[in-house]
Amino acid sequence: MMNIPVFLKSPRNVKQANYLSSLLYRKLSHSADVEEKIEIPKRIPRGPTDILRALESTITRDPTAAHYKYHDDPYLIPKSNVGKRTFAMAQEAGRKAAHWIRREHADLFNHREADPVIQAFLPRVVYNEDSEVTENDLKQTIEDVQVADAVIVYKALKSKGVKVSKETEQSLLDLLCYFNSEDTLSEEFIEERWFMQSSRSKERHRKIWKDGNLAEEIFISIENPTAEAYSTIIQGMTKHFQVTRAWELYEEAQNKGLVLSTNTYNSLIRVVNFLKEQYDMRWVLIVNLLTDMNKLGLKPNLATLNAILQALSTMGGGNAAKDNALKTLREFKKLGIEPSLGSYYFLLVTFCKERGPKSTILYDIMAHIENKEHKIRDLSDTNFFVTAMDVCRNHLNDVEMAKRVDRLLHIGNNYDLIGDSYKESIYYRHYFILLVTYVPLDEFMNQTYDKLVPNIYVPEPGVMLELLTQVELNAAVEYIPKLWSDMTVFDHTTRENLLELISNIMVNNPPADSELRERFSYIAWDMYNKIESQNENRYNKITLTGEMLGKIMTLLLKNDDFSKACAVMEKLDKGHSSIVGIPKFETLSLFVDKCIENKAPSQAIRCIQYCADSGFPEVNSLAVRLDEKLTLDEELLGSLTKAVGNFRLDNKSSANVE
Amino acid sequence: MLEKILSSCKLSSVSKIIEHAPIQFNRRLLYTTPVHYKKQAGRYRVTHRGDFPLTYEMANPPHQIAHRKSWNSWNTSNIVGGVRPAETAVEDVFIRKFMSGTWHNLFVSEIIIKRQYNIIRIAGIIQRTVNPRKLYFLIGYTEELLSFWLQCPIKLELQTVAERKDVIYKYI
Repeated sequence: MMNIPVFLKSPRNVKQANYLSSLLYRKLSHSADVEEKIEIPKRIPRGPTDILRALESTITRDPTAAHYKYHDDPYLIPKSNVGKRTFAMAQEAGRKAAHWIRREHADLFNHREADPVIQAFLPRVVYNEDSEVTENDLKQTIEDVQVADAVIVYKALKSKGVKVSKETEQSLLDLLCYFNSEDTLSEEFIEERWFMQSSRSKERHRKIWKDGNLAEEIFISIENPTAEAYSTIIQGMTKHFQVTRAWELYEEAQNKGLVLSTNTYNSLIRVVNFLKEQYDMRWVLIVNLLTDMNKLGLKPNLATLNAILQALSTMGGGNAAKDNALKTLREFKKLGIEPSLGSYYFLLVTFCKERGPKSTILYDIMAHIENKEHKIRDLSDTNFFVTAMDVCRNHLNDVEMAKRVDRLLHIGNNYDLIGDSYKESIYYRHYFILLVTYVPLDEFMNQTYDKLVPNIYVPEPGVMLELLTQVELNAAVEYIPKLWSDMTVFDHTTRENLLELISNIMVNNPPADSELRERFSYIAWDMYNKIESQNENRYNKITLTGEMLGKIMTLLLKNDDFSKACAVMEKLDKGHSSIVGIPKFETLSLFVDKCIENKAPSQAIRCIQYCADSGFPEVNSLAVRLDEKLTLDEELLGSLTKAVGNFRLDNKSSANVE
Repeated sequence: MLEKILSSCKLSSVSKIIEHAPIQFNRRLLYTTPVHYKKQAGRYRVTHRGDFPLTYEMANPPHQIAHRKSWNSWNTSNIVGGVRPAETAVEDVFIRKFMSGTWHNLFVSEIIIKRQYNIIRIAGIIQRTVNPRKLYFLIGYTEELLSFWLQCPIKLELQTVAERKDVIYKYI
């Protein structure tokens, strides 16, 4: 071994040295093998998709690419929020058209190509009142969650006098109660589900239970309904906010001495705020229900915890609700029930009220959930992230916390818990506004904006306004060209406040380098053309004001775009009676200077005329300057005098005074 | 053939040939195999004005497959142990007809059909004459309807070009 370095000194011996070292290595490792016992690890049973999952876990979301549901082609990648929505929905509409064709021509799609047969590709069986059905058909429709079909099959069975078994009847009742006897959107149409929920949340907390629907009919037709049937119908009614009837049925069941399920109690606790008006009465009712459960020996579960916390979250900002929430949490911890993200969501709602004292409960919550992967355990879990970010922004104003929440969102598959497109965009809206206000602008632009926009998030006009305000405060005009092109793509150029702000920034922070000046001039001209070419019938059209035109003109003139500036001047001059407001005098003065530079006296005189008409007292000085710098012929001199009166006389007199 | 021989021979020697090969002339042969236009298939004739546009694929004759261009159908049906060779061929024809009909006047390239396991991927280049929203509708419709018909997952892999001219390789 000692010899190896010597060998290595001469290159000729390198090969030999390698050979020797490999020999040595073999010998060493061999001796180690004798001592070590080979332990063959136990076989780990793998599922059919485990390899795919393992591969998938190595890939994270690439922010530079569009979501994989869109086609990877520049023409087909959506760039604005509207685009994202319409493209995804258009694709789904196409799929629905295919479904329609298969339904209309079901007889053509009955071939069996796949082996074994895949039911999803075959047309659905169509049932009507007279079709020959058996109980098995009913079971199948319930299994496939086809609510309308299940109703038809059930009615057909009844009309034929077929007896349906108790179990099937119960599972039908379950189905009808859960879906309020309505057909639900198939799980296949994920895009519609992703974009839909935002509109649905608005009609929350309104009675939507259809009174006298088939579920109720079935329930009434059952002789001596079991506790199970009672549980189902009560849960269905509370789910769709038919609260009074649910409570009646609950009392009926109590009187009959039936033991209802835990979930029934949970659903009753959830709607306790519909049953009692006062906060303390609500709490008493909850406690009573829980005591009943205890007497009957029903073990509460996670849904019970969430129901209690949800009820507490609607009980105002008093201390009682907060204390009770913490007590409940402690109690359930003792029972060994771990709260889900939904529980924490309700805690946040209870503690961080808009008009209440500041609460730092999110810090304590984060200590429990940070750096962990979470799975959905309750429907309300999807509300957590958006609310946590809301609290970070509006309640705590804490950037570090927001970053921690964001980090948690991106661990494992936690992003699944973001909810839907609406919640996602609100989440990012809060995150963006918080960051843009508290993080240095450069850092924000480089680390957040460039990364997330536009593929993951497209800022709404409100967020853009906030961002532009920050740009204005920091005088960071170098971002203006980028932001303008983004605004164009995101369709924000029809917002008057945004246009005004961006033109203000450009005028008030004249750039030093000529390139940026050129870009500004381009933006100004772009802005002018966009407003000019608006559709006549647009609902809220932007009207060009004199100030706005003045700013555009200034920007154009700064870059020596004289002909374009002339066009703007002409617009001003022609629309003198219709355009609201007038530009600043400095702008017009600058225009006259540029006219002098470009030897365009007639343009200058028109501008001076405009100044005179607008009533600027300094108009004489303009005329004098023009007269001094350019030699005007008689005709021009005449029109100049017509515009401002005898300026030469005034000038001399003012000179005399001096 | 016969005419050629006849014309090349002197009239006096004709009788000699007939004498030597009497059987050949008495029997009429019927050739039932389809004609193999080996020299014409997949090739384009040079036009008089030289203004016929060709894509890169069209410009390369069949013997360039696997050299300069590639196959239009990718599957393992025809190798040893492959399954459903006939069905695959017919389905491919169906897919091509369906695509060119549904995506009317949009495809500017060949329609490439790639099969892996039970998945069929249909690729091609389309031109941007239609609004992207409508293209997405067609994508959804095609994928869904073809998977109902062929009963396997179908995926489209499209690329767009601004206009047909962008895929023209040369004019002949």
